[in-house]
Amino acid sequence: MKYLSFRRIVSRILWTGILLVPVLLASPAMAEQRSGNIYGLPPCVTTVGEQIDGLIKIIFWLCAVIFVLTQSTYVYYLIRYRRRPGVPAHYSHGNNTLEVIWTTAPTLVFLALAIYGNRIWENIHRPAPENSLVVDVSSYQFGWDMRYPGVSGKLAPIDIRKIGPENRFGTDPENPLTAQDVVSNELVIPVGRPVHLLLHARDVIHSFYVPEFRLYQDCVPGRTIGWVWFQATRTGEFQLACNQLCGTGHYNMKAPIRVVTEEEFQKWLVPRQQKNAGTAQPVAPAAPAASAAPKAATLTTPVTKTTL
Amino acid sequence: MSASVTADSHAAHAHHDDHGHGKPGIMHYLWNTDHKMIAMQFLVSAVFFLLIGGAMAVAMRWQLAFPGHSIPVFGHLLPSSIVNDEGAIMPSGYNVLVTMHGTILVFFVAMPLLIGVFGNFLIPLKIGAGDMAFPALNELSYWLFALSGVVMMASFWVPGGAPGTGWTAYAPLSSVAAYNQTPLGQTLWCTALFINGLSSLTGAVNYITTVITMRAPGMTMFRMPLPVWAIFLTAILLILAIPVLSAAAALIIFDLNLGTSFYRPSGAGQPLLWQHLFWFFGHPEVYILILPAMGLTSEILSVNSRKPVFGYKAMVWAMIAIGFLGFIVWGHHMYVSGMNLTLSAAFSVSTMVIAVPSAIKTFNWMGTLWRGSIHYTVPMAFAVAFVSMFVIGGLSGIFMASTPVDLFVHHTYFIVAHFHYVLFGGSMFAIFAAVYFWFPKMTGRMFNNTLGWIHFWMTFVFFNLTFFPMHNLGLGGMMRRIADPTVYDCLRQLQPLNVVCTIGAIGLGLATIPFVVNLLISLRKAPDAPANPWNSTTLEWTLSHPIQHGNFPVTPTVYHGPYEYSVPGLAKDFLPQNEKAPAHVTLEAH
Repeated sequence: MKYLSFRRIVSRILWTGILLVPVLLASPAMAEQRSGNIYGLPPCVTTVGEQIDGLIKIIFWLCAVIFVLTQSTYVYYLIRYRRRPGVPAHYSHGNNTLEVIWTTAPTLVFLALAIYGNRIWENIHRPAPENSLVVDVSSYQFGWDMRYPGVSGKLAPIDIRKIGPENRFGTDPENPLTAQDVVSNELVIPVGRPVHLLLHARDVIHSFYVPEFRLYQDCVPGRTIGWVWFQATRTGEFQLACNQLCGTGHYNMKAPIRVVTEEEFQKWLVPRQQKNAGTAQPVAPAAPAASAAPKAATLTTPVTKTTL
Repeated sequence: MSASVTADSHAAHAHHDDHGHGKPGIMHYLWNTDHKMIAMQFLVSAVFFLLIGGAMAVAMRWQLAFPGHSIPVFGHLLPSSIVNDEGAIMPSGYNVLVTMHGTILVFFVAMPLLIGVFGNFLIPLKIGAGDMAFPALNELSYWLFALSGVVMMASFWVPGGAPGTGWTAYAPLSSVAAYNQTPLGQTLWCTALFINGLSSLTGAVNYITTVITMRAPGMTMFRMPLPVWAIFLTAILLILAIPVLSAAAALIIFDLNLGTSFYRPSGAGQPLLWQHLFWFFGHPEVYILILPAMGLTSEILSVNSRKPVFGYKAMVWAMIAIGFLGFIVWGHHMYVSGMNLTLSAAFSVSTMVIAVPSAIKTFNWMGTLWRGSIHYTVPMAFAVAFVSMFVIGGLSGIFMASTPVDLFVHHTYFIVAHFHYVLFGGSMFAIFAAVYFWFPKMTGRMFNNTLGWIHFWMTFVFFNLTFFPMHNLGLGGMMRRIADPTVYDCLRQLQPLNVVCTIGAIGLGLATIPFVVNLLISLRKAPDAPANPWNSTTLEWTLSHPIQHGNFPVTPTVYHGPYEYSVPGLAKDFLPQNEKAPAHVTLEAH
C-alpha cells in the first residue's frame, strides 16, 4: 500500500469536508420549499407580523452597525497595539469625558428603542375589533381543540373552573348554545377578517406559536387569555405549534391552520353550524361530553376573567 | 484583626501541615479548610460535571441533526430512560437531556467554577488575608455542593427517571405528578437545588465577611482588584436571590408530595407564581454568572496589555448598577407568559436600561487595549475572545428585550444562540482564561502552551460554528426544546443549519480533550512556574509556590490601586500593590 504523508491525509480530510457541504445543503430539496432563503425569516402573513418585521429590521440594522464598528475597532486595536519591542504601553487610567459619552449615548438609544417598541406592543394589543371572528382554543397534553360560534353567532359561555378532560371547553351542558358550538381539530380562518382568540389550557402551560403569524402566547391553565387577535393578509396552510415544554409529547403537539377566503370559510363553517343547530332542536339534547357529567348548577358567571 | 488572623493561622497550620512528612494522605484532599484546597476541590468537581453536561449537549445536537438515528458508538452506553433499544434518543429522553444539561451547566459548572474556584482562591490572596473568615464553613460549602451533585445525579436512577421539565421547571408541569410522570426525579431535582442553594449561601456569607473585614492594611475598597469586586457583588446577589429559588423549589416538593396546590389552578393555585419566583432568582442568576467573568477578564486584559484597567471606577460602578438593575428585569422572561401587558412594557424599559452598564464595560475593555502593548498568551486569547463574543451576545439580547420582537423570537433558537453567546462565549471563555492565567499560582506549574493554543482555536472556531447558525434557526421559527424539528413542515428545510450546529458541537466536545489533557500532564511534572510569570501587580503573585496555609508570612501593606502597569519613570513595567512608588514617580488617580 502506498504510504500517505501526514500532509496528504489532512488535505484529503479537508477536501472530503468541503465536498460534503453542498451535499448537506442540498438535502432540503426533498422537503417543501420556503419562499425565502434558509437564513432569514419565514413568510409573514398577518398585519401584526408586518409591524414586528419592521421593528426587527430597525434593530437588525442598528445591531449590524454597532457590531461592525465595535468589532472592527477591536480587531484594529488587537493588531495595532500588539507587543513591539521598544514601544511601551501608554499609561492611562481612563477618561471621564469618554465615560459620560458612552454612558449617555447607549442610554438614549436603548430608551428610544424601548419607547418605540412599546408603542407597537400597545398597538398590537388594542382591543379586538367588533367584527372579529372569535375562536376558543383549548390546549392539552398533547393537542389542540378549537371552538367556533354556532348559528346564533355567539360562543356558549364557559366556566374556567370546569375545564378538564371531561369538559374540554368548560361549557355548560344545560345551555342550548353549547350544542350549537362548532368544534374542530384544525384552525380555519378567513383572510382579511380580524380573528380574536380565547386561549385556554386544560392541564399544563402550553403556548400558541405560529412563526408565519409572528405570534407567541402562553395558554395558562385556570385562565382565559383574551388579548390575542390578528388579521391574516393572505391564504395558505400553516402549522400551529406548542412552544412551551409541556411533557413527553410536546415536540409533536401541533395542529393544522388553514387561512382561506371568506367565501371558502363560510362554506366550511355554515354546514357545521347547521348540523349542530339541527341536533340542538330536539327536546332532550344530549351533548356528547355532557352525558356522563353530573348536573351542573346554574352558572352565574359566563366567562371568568382572571388577571395577575 | 486581619493581621492577627494571618499570623496565627499561619503559625498553627504550618505546624499542623508538617506532621505528615511526605505525601499528604487522602483526607488532606477531602477535608481541608485551606481556601486554596477548597478551590481545587471545586475545580475538579466542576470539570467532572462539565464533561457530563457537555456530553449531554452533544447527544442533543446529534438528535436535532439526525432525529431518530441511533447515536454511533455511545448510543448504547446511555441509560434506557433516555435512549431506545437502537440507541436513538426518545422524545422523553430528549426532554431529560434538555433539563439536566441546563441544570448541570448552570448550577454545577458555571457557578462553582466562577464562584467556588476563583472566589475561594482569589479573594484571600488578592486582599492579603490568611484565609476566609469562616474556613470550616467554607469546606462545608464545598461538601454541600458535592452532596447536591450526588442528589441531582441520583434522579437518573429512581423510578420514572430524571425530570424532563426544563431547567426552568415551569409549574404545573413540574408540580403535578400526573403531568410530568417523574415525581420522584422532580423531587430530587428540587432537593438538589435546595442543597445547592445552601452551599451558595454559606459561600456567599464567607466572601462578603472576608472582603469587608479581612483586607490587608491599605487595601481600601477602591484598591481591590476587579475580580474581588465582581465576586463580592456576586455574593450579595446570591444572598438576595438564592433563598427565593429555594423557597419556590420547596413549594414544588410540597405540591408533588404533600398534596398542596401552590401552583395548581384546580386548587386555587397560580401557575405564574412559579415563574415570578423562579425568574426573580433567575435573572440575577444571569448576572451571578457573568459578573465574575467580567471581573476576571478585566484583570487578564489589563495584565496582558501592560496597561491599567481603563476606567477602574466606572467598571466598579457599572457592576454595582448591573447588580441593582438585575433585580428589576426578571419580567422580560415573561412578556408572553400571560402576565399583565403593561407590566411587560415596563420590564422592557428596565431591560433596555440594563444594557447600558454592559456597554460601558465593553467600551472600557476596548479602552484598556487602546495604546497597550498586547502580549498574546493563552489566557489573553480567551479574554480577548470573551469581549468579542460578549458583544454578539449583548446585541442579540436587544432583539428579545423589545416586547413586539419577543412575540416572534420568544422560545426559539434565537434565545438559545443569545444565552450561549453570553454563558459560553462569555462565562466559559472567561473561566478558561482564568484557569490558564492562575494555573501557575494554583499548582506551581506552567501549563503546556501548545495544547493551550490548540484548545483556544478549537473552542473559538467550533463555538461559533455551533451557536452562530442558531440565530438563523431561531429567526426561521425553530422552537427550542423540541426533540424533532422535522415534524414541522416549515422547519424541515432548516435542517442543514442543524447539521452545521451539530458538527460544531462535536468539535466543541473534542476541544475539551486538549484542555483536560493539558491539566493532567501539567500537574504531573515538577513545579516549574516562577512566582510571578505574568509580571502582575496583585498580591497573590508576591507569594512563591507552595503557598502555605495562612498565605502571607507577613501581612502585606498596600500602597496603591491594583493595576499600575507601564508607569512612566519606572525600570520595570509593573508596580506591585505592596511596593511603594518611588518619590520621583507620580501615579495617576484612577
